[in-house]
Amino acid sequence: MAVFDTPQAAFGALRPVCVQLTRTQTVENVRQLQAHLAGVSGAALQELQEYVLFPLRFALRVPGPKQERLLQSLVQCISSVLAATCVKKQELLQELFSELCTCLAPPPNSGKAAPLSEELKLAVIQALHTLMHSAYGDVILSLYQPSSLPLLGFAVSLLLTLAEQEKAKQIKISALECLQVLVLQCDCQEHRHLDEDEEQQCGDLFASFLPGISIALSRIIAGDIKQGHKTTVSAIRLFYLIVGLVMADKQLARIPKSKEKLPVEHSRISELMIHRGSDWTKSTAEKLSILLHKVVESSSVHPHWKVRLELVELVHHLLRNCSQSLVDSFSHLLKALVGLVNDENSEVQSRCNKVLQGISEQRIVAQNRALADVLSENLHSLATALPRLMNSQDDMGKVSTLSLLLGYLKLLGPKINIVLHSMSHLQRLSKALVQVLELDVTDVKIVEARRSEPPGPLQQGVQKGRCQKKYFRFFTEEKVFQLLQQVCRVLGYYGNLYLLVDHFMGLYSESGLYRKQAAMILNELVMGAAGVGVDFLQEREAALNVDDLKGSITSILDEYMDQANWYLFTSVDSEESSPEQSEQHLGLAVRAGGVSSSVLLLSSEPPVTTRTMNSNIWQICIQLEGVGCFAAVLGKEFRLLLLSALYPVLEKAGDRTLLISETALGTLADICEACGYDSVQCLINENSDYLVNGISLNLRQLAYQPRASQVLDTMLRNSDASLLPLVEDVIQDVLSALDQSYNSQASTFLRVLHSVMTALVQWFGMPSAEEHQQRQTDKGQSRALSQGQHKVTSQEVERFFLDYVSQKRIAEGDLPDLEEEEETDEVPLANPEPNSDMEGEAPLPSHAQLARDVMERCIHLLSDGSLRVRLKVLDVLELCVTMLHPHGNHLLPMAHRVWPALVTRLVGDDPLAVLRAFKVLCTLAQTCGDFLRQRFSKDVLPKLTSSLLSQAPVSARAGPVYSHTLAFKLQLAVLQGLGSLCERLDMGESDLNKVADACLIYLSAKQPVKLQEAAQSVFLHLMHVDPDSTWLLLSEVCCPEGYEPPHPSLRPVKLSGMGRPRNELTDNVLLLLHRLQQQEATGPRSSTQEASPS
Amino acid sequence: MALPPPDPQFVLRGTSAPVHTLHFSCGGPEPDIPLLFSGSENGFIHVWNLKTHRVDRALDGHGRKSVYCVETMGGKDRLLSQGRDQRICLWDLAEGRTSVTDSVFTEHVGFCRCSLLKVAQGRWLMAMAARSLEEVQILELPSKTSVCTLKPEVGAKLGMPMCLKLWQLSCGSQPVLLAGYEDGSVVLWNVSMGKALSQLNCHQEPVMSLDFDSEKAKGISGSSEKVLSIWSLNEQQNLQVYKTHELVNAGISDITLRPDKKILATAGWDHRIRIFGWKKLKPLAVLDYHTATVHCVSFSDHSTPRDRLLAAGSRDQRISVWSIYAQT
Repeated sequence: MAVFDTPQAAFGALRPVCVQLTRTQTVENVRQLQAHLAGVSGAALQELQEYVLFPLRFALRVPGPKQERLLQSLVQCISSVLAATCVKKQELLQELFSELCTCLAPPPNSGKAAPLSEELKLAVIQALHTLMHSAYGDVILSLYQPSSLPLLGFAVSLLLTLAEQEKAKQIKISALECLQVLVLQCDCQEHRHLDEDEEQQCGDLFASFLPGISIALSRIIAGDIKQGHKTTVSAIRLFYLIVGLVMADKQLARIPKSKEKLPVEHSRISELMIHRGSDWTKSTAEKLSILLHKVVESSSVHPHWKVRLELVELVHHLLRNCSQSLVDSFSHLLKALVGLVNDENSEVQSRCNKVLQGISEQRIVAQNRALADVLSENLHSLATALPRLMNSQDDMGKVSTLSLLLGYLKLLGPKINIVLHSMSHLQRLSKALVQVLELDVTDVKIVEARRSEPPGPLQQGVQKGRCQKKYFRFFTEEKVFQLLQQVCRVLGYYGNLYLLVDHFMGLYSESGLYRKQAAMILNELVMGAAGVGVDFLQEREAALNVDDLKGSITSILDEYMDQANWYLFTSVDSEESSPEQSEQHLGLAVRAGGVSSSVLLLSSEPPVTTRTMNSNIWQICIQLEGVGCFAAVLGKEFRLLLLSALYPVLEKAGDRTLLISETALGTLADICEACGYDSVQCLINENSDYLVNGISLNLRQLAYQPRASQVLDTMLRNSDASLLPLVEDVIQDVLSALDQSYNSQASTFLRVLHSVMTALVQWFGMPSAEEHQQRQTDKGQSRALSQGQHKVTSQEVERFFLDYVSQKRIAEGDLPDLEEEEETDEVPLANPEPNSDMEGEAPLPSHAQLARDVMERCIHLLSDGSLRVRLKVLDVLELCVTMLHPHGNHLLPMAHRVWPALVTRLVGDDPLAVLRAFKVLCTLAQTCGDFLRQRFSKDVLPKLTSSLLSQAPVSARAGPVYSHTLAFKLQLAVLQGLGSLCERLDMGESDLNKVADACLIYLSAKQPVKLQEAAQSVFLHLMHVDPDSTWLLLSEVCCPEGYEPPHPSLRPVKLSGMGRPRNELTDNVLLLLHRLQQQEATGPRSSTQEASPS
Repeated sequence: MALPPPDPQFVLRGTSAPVHTLHFSCGGPEPDIPLLFSGSENGFIHVWNLKTHRVDRALDGHGRKSVYCVETMGGKDRLLSQGRDQRICLWDLAEGRTSVTDSVFTEHVGFCRCSLLKVAQGRWLMAMAARSLEEVQILELPSKTSVCTLKPEVGAKLGMPMCLKLWQLSCGSQPVLLAGYEDGSVVLWNVSMGKALSQLNCHQEPVMSLDFDSEKAKGISGSSEKVLSIWSLNEQQNLQVYKTHELVNAGISDITLRPDKKILATAGWDHRIRIFGWKKLKPLAVLDYHTATVHCVSFSDHSTPRDRLLAAGSRDQRISVWSIYAQT
């Protein structure tokens, strides 16, 4: 509402009030003036500035005590004039400045702030503030001449006192802001930029105030938290601005050696002036360092985040401007900065990161040797304290300590190498890391957790290899581990890889205590060196040399996979420990010749405790993880290393300890991904030549055989038929190795043979086996059909009788029963023979050849002393038989050779073996049923039936304990196996009768239930083979219903079981008859009972 | 205490046929991949990459007839191979090519390996058994011009040449040929004059293989019997038996001296490779890995002694590669 635009009009309006004010200085008059001023435009007021100011200044200058209210309104009025105008005269500025300052001047000799009202103080401060802003152009500089030093000093001390001693926040803040303007560091942009000389001059001037200001400010900063964060923030800002100005490296560099002589008239002032020479700089820096330390300490833990943010700014500002002059303070400053990286406030965090990044990018540290020294000094002392801190601090404390460490490393950046080249630094650091990373190896579960027996195909376990969760002795927080990881990676990223790897390899081999940690660190170093997952502030100078990396990795791998480090006790399994143990000794003995250090290992071998095993497990896991890391780092380049690395990893994938095998699977997945294979199967298939090489070479050493077989096992499980040529090759090795060590290694090799045969059956055997089964069922069906075609018509009954009569005649005439049976036997026998002869002429396919070779070994092993081995052999044997099915004339001679040993298993072995042997026999019967039938009925059956018969009364009488006896188990096994065998072998009638007779007594209710059930199963099988005679047999025992002959001419059916009283057999027989009836009803045949009267 | 004999460093599988000849090419500077050439009974020449231990290329140039000699001519890009199809082929393998550039029809039906000697840059002499039974022919390569034909005197009854070794004392001097014959004798031929200088009857059985150390003027030969024969050549160019070494099992199919002439390796019919010190023929090691007759042994030409390898090819279709006495 500028009413008076022209100076003339304004003058007209203002004149009366000004005159009035000059006459009588009252609050009212001042208010009037102020009211009028509001209506005057800025331009007009500028013209009238001095005129308007005159009455106000006059009123101020009137001697004698004045009303505070009047003073306040005067000052406010001045400040509103100044706000609208600018001061263009130096004198006016200086006078106004001093007049305003005097308002607040304490009464002489009191030494305390004037007892004025807070409003007045605030008004004066604001007026000063406005005055400084209204000074036009260069005019302001007139204040900063040496001559005005006393005046300035007065103002500064005045404001400082206010800032420090006042209670009101507003005053404190205003005073600080005013001071900021006073030292020409105002935040607003209106000010003219000072040129270098002017800045230098101001710097010289302010140097005089520096002690006072800095001490007062540091007191404010460290003051009561109740003063509010804004005060503290302003104080910090002012602190760094003034320090940054006075101690600026740029300015100090230009200070002449000796003090400038000022003109004589200023001699007194000249005494006040400070010469910022090197001595002064040094001593000031020392004092400032103390203050800074105080400031940093109090504000870095300040609860308000803005204060901490301002602290970051402080460090930033000082680092940027005073990196040389204040170098001694930097250990505190950087510590604060680095410590704030992980501040809970994200803004502080990000700003802090940015500042750090800025520092690195500008290479402040890299170019400043002194700073690097400070940092490495800090690092050293931190590293020294680290183990202690890690021991004593809680997890939060550890996090902050470690982030400090990480920050130092990051800041040092490429300069890390300077630190690393100093042996003591490196040693401190590495020892600290190693100590902190100590694992907790007390968990028994890790040792106990075993892989569930048949390991599934590898694909299932294949996720991206995640690190196993580790448990550390000194911390539990995951964050701590992550920080440690980062520390190692940053080291690897910037540091000299060879140096680091050498050093940690040294630690690795130095003591078993350090080994795990060193390995962990090495893994991370390599990751870091490759730049994987590293948080860094600045790029390293030299790009990564892949050859160096590869060289380091190769040497680490060699060390990891060294006998002494790769094969450790991890379990006390009865099955595994003995060969492992011998191998350990053998391995050491072999090494002893070459490497002297192994002697040391030998002597220091500790007794195997759970703890050692746990530790060993972890070591292997860490090394496996390392392999995964290396693969990830090298990518496709790692393919070359697969030659040496794949075999050991696969070996571990087959380990019985859960943790190890899981980790190894993860490693495999890592390798797959890194080397660009689609799946583990792919990986194994494409590198099977490497594996086979390893297997074959390891098979040559007795001690390594178990492991080699494990790898072969894993390999077979995960590959396909394309592998056959290689597998064939290696199986020959296995077989020859087996031939040389039947006694000691049989069980190991049998496992391999088993998996080989399983694989072969899977690759080649299936179709033929199915085919065969098809054939079998076809045969069964045709037979069933031939038997079941009888419809119950009289013609058929008639024909049946005619046949029967003629058959009977033949039988009674010249051919005895037995021969007839043989004849019928020979019919199918003749059939396959020409067929298989033709096959025999063609060379046996290699997989069948293998099966035959394996079978050959099985013959020898069938009579092995250990039951476990015998069982395994029987399993393998069965697979071999399956494999050789299509090649009958190779199988038959083998079967012939197997027979004697197999008979022994069937007749006089452990029940378990008997059962397995029955299974083998069943399988064998599929192909060479005819061959076996006779032998079975001659060699085995009599013994079995007689033993069954003789044992029956015993078991019938026995109590519940009997089921734990060997005899019981044997009975059970025989009964369980006999039925299916009879069916498979397609046994003759007389044999079936023998079987039925022997088993019938086991249907007795007096027998143990299990035996009853087993006997039932025998009969169920018999029902399949010959339902009619079974029916008859059962009905002879017990027949629940009568049968009406279909025609009156037939004799009535009379069965011995009819009308018998209920006895011990009744229940089971009835059950079986019921089943038989069901079977007949659902099967392709209609009921045949009527066709079979005797 | 003697250390137990080492295992092979690795075993190369995949020739799917017995291996008859091996030749290393590892002398190249760093970026060059060390190679091993193997010739096998099915007529293939496999080029093995010794970094990956895999076949880089398989060359098929002898009509599926057994390849029993492979040599490089200069670098690894030019190859000479000899097969039972009675041909000697020259290969160009540079830049991934696999072409036969030239071939010589030997008309020889035996197993006698040819012998190659570099006489000047880009010029080689090659000795090979010729068509008529007892003759050896010397050709110049790559021009294929016949230099001379070495015929034994009438009535000498040496039988077929079994093995040849062409050498010269120093560069530019007279090339000399050592030939082992079916009757067990070793004959020294002057190639330029085309006449026999000396004859030594050192075996009862055909000489299967020989090697010669021109510095010590000593050579060694093996036959199908149990004896290794070491002979020397005196100033008068006369061969004389220096020493014999009795073996446990009969039959040596190949003998090779290591390029540094410190040790030698023999390939035995007893499936074993034997290592001897060359100076006193001290038996150093018996390498037992193969499961069938070892057909050939070869030392690598690595420039650093530490990397040097020994390879052996066998009837069991494997090539075993060993790192032994590399430090000596």
